[in-house]
Amino acid sequence: MANSLLKYITLSNKLLSAKVLSCSPLYISHRNGHHIRGKPPELARSLKQRLEELNYKDPSIHYRVDIGFPNASKSRAAELKYRLDIVKSNYRNAELEKKSRNGELLIDLEEARRDWMKTSGPQQIKEIADHYGVFKDLFGDAYFIPRVSLEVLYNVSDEDQLPVYYGNIVKPAMAIKQPEISYEASDDSLWTLILTNPDGHFTDEESEYVHWFIGNIPGNNVEKGEVILDYLQPFPPRGTGLHRHIFILYKQEERIDYSPLKKSNPCYNLKERTFKTLDFYKDRQDILTPAGLAFFQSDWDTTLTDFYHKCLNMQEPIFEYDFPKPYIRPQEWFPRRKPFNIYMDKYRDPKQINKEFLMRKLEHVHPFKPPRKPLPHPNAIAFEGYIPSWLKVEMTKSRLRWGRINDIE
Amino acid sequence: MIRCCSIKPRFASSLACENDKISPTLTNRNLRNLEYLRIAHKPDGYYVDKPGRLYWHKLQLTQTNRHITASLVHHINGSVLTASTREWAIKKQLYKTTDSSAYTNLARVFAQRCLESGLIEFFSDLKTDNENDNVTKFLKVLQECGLKLTEPEQYKTILPWTRERPPKPWEIIE
Repeated sequence: MANSLLKYITLSNKLLSAKVLSCSPLYISHRNGHHIRGKPPELARSLKQRLEELNYKDPSIHYRVDIGFPNASKSRAAELKYRLDIVKSNYRNAELEKKSRNGELLIDLEEARRDWMKTSGPQQIKEIADHYGVFKDLFGDAYFIPRVSLEVLYNVSDEDQLPVYYGNIVKPAMAIKQPEISYEASDDSLWTLILTNPDGHFTDEESEYVHWFIGNIPGNNVEKGEVILDYLQPFPPRGTGLHRHIFILYKQEERIDYSPLKKSNPCYNLKERTFKTLDFYKDRQDILTPAGLAFFQSDWDTTLTDFYHKCLNMQEPIFEYDFPKPYIRPQEWFPRRKPFNIYMDKYRDPKQINKEFLMRKLEHVHPFKPPRKPLPHPNAIAFEGYIPSWLKVEMTKSRLRWGRINDIE
Repeated sequence: MIRCCSIKPRFASSLACENDKISPTLTNRNLRNLEYLRIAHKPDGYYVDKPGRLYWHKLQLTQTNRHITASLVHHINGSVLTASTREWAIKKQLYKTTDSSAYTNLARVFAQRCLESGLIEFFSDLKTDNENDNVTKFLKVLQECGLKLTEPEQYKTILPWTRERPPKPWEIIE
C-alpha cells in the first residue's frame, strides 16, 4: 500500500511540474510592447555559464604532459623542524620585534628570491610562462617546471648589467653582445642552451628563429660548449610589438651529435636559422630534458635599421596591425529610414571618397602662397545661400576635422 | 595573436638578397603583445556589476586574520602571479605576518616579481580613506618600486566614419 501511495505522489508531482512548465507564458508581459524573449531570467543560463559551455574542453583529450624533471624529494619532517626553529627564534628576537613594530623592517630581497627559487619559485615561473604562452608555442601540449635556475646577464656597458628573468623587456640595443650564462651544474654533466624567438618568423608563422644554439656544454662552462649557431641579437621588425626571446636549457643524458644542424658561423641567413623546438625535441626526447627557462621581450628600436641593412643585408620591413574589417550588411534596393549620404558612402570605393575630399582641399591650395591659417572658431562662419541640411552637417564635420576628412590629412 | 601587414611596397630586384623574400603578413603569437599595444579586447559591458571587469590585469589583495596575499589577476587566465606571507621565502624574515611591515615587505617582493615578469601596469580598485592605513602603505610602496596602478584604455578599431583619430600607441617612439 505504502509503495503504491509513493507512486501516486511521484506521479502527481510529475503532473504538477508539467503544469508549472506549461504556465511559463505567464512570465511574458506584453505591457507597453515589452516581452521577455527566451526563458525567464531565473531559468535561463547566464553569460558565464554559456561561455563555460562553449569553451569546455574534454580533459580526456586536452591534457598536458610534464616533460621536465620531478621535484627533488626532501624530508618533510626535517624541513618543518628547520622552519619552526627559525620562526621561533624570530619571535624571540627583540630587535626584530622593535624594527617590525616601528615599521623599519626591510627584508633582504636577494635572500627572499633565493629561498623562493628553492620553494615555490619554479612553479610560479611556469605559471607566468603559461600566461605568456611559452609552452603552447614551443612544445604544444607539453610543459616543464624549470627546476634549474638559469641566470642570464647582458653586459650593456662596463658598469651596467641587465638580467633576463621571465618576461622583462630588453631593448635590442642592450642585447647586441651575447649574455653571460650561469647555472648550477656538476662538472660531468652535459647541457644544451637554445635561444629562440617564436614570434617573428617572416614566412612561416608556426616556425621560430633560433638566435643562439650551444650544444654539449660541459658543466656550466658555456664557453667550452660546441657552438652550433652563433649569437644573433634580437631584431623584432617595426610595428609588430613585443617578441618573446626564450632561453631554454636542456640537460643531456649523453653526448649528442649536432653536426646535421651545424651551420657556418657567423650565420646571417634567416632561412638557415629557421627552427622548430617541437620537432627538435621530438627527435631527441629520450636524451634531452628541459631544465631551465628564462625569457625576455623585445620590440623595435632605432638601432635596428642599420642591423637590417648591414648584417642581415635586407630591406627593413615595416608592418602595421591589420585591424579586423567592419561588417557592412548587403546593400538594399530601398533602404528605409537611412540617411542617404551616409548609407551610400558605405558601399562606395573609399579611394573615390578620399579623392573627392582631396579635390575639395586642393581648391584652396595655391602653389606659391602659404597655406591658409586654421580658423579659431570654424563653425562661426555662416553658410552662404541655400544649403541642404545634410550638406551643412557634412561641411561642419569637415571644418571640425571629424570623420572621413582625417583620411587625407 | 597579432597579424601585421607589410606597409612598404616591395619590388623584386636582381639585387634582392635571400633574406628579402618575406611574406606580406607576419603573425606575432605573443599573447601579451596586444595588451602592450593597447588593442587587446577588454571585457567591456559589465558596467552594472560591482566590481567591474574593465581590465586586463588587476591587483587583488586578500587579507585574512593570519596572512596577506597579493595577486595579479588576468581577466581570462585568472591569477597569474602571487606573493603571500604564507610563502616561506617571505615568512622566514618577518616578525609578524599581518603587521604594517609585513604589508610594506610584501609590496616590495610583489613589485620585484611584477618587474621581473614584465607586468608593470595593472588596474587596481583598492581604495582607502586613511593615510596611515596598511593598504595605503602597500600601494605607495608598489608605486615607489616603479609600478603603475592604472591601465591605459583600449585602442578601439578606427573605421572610416569614426569621428576622432587618436594617435596609434605603437607609432609613438620614446
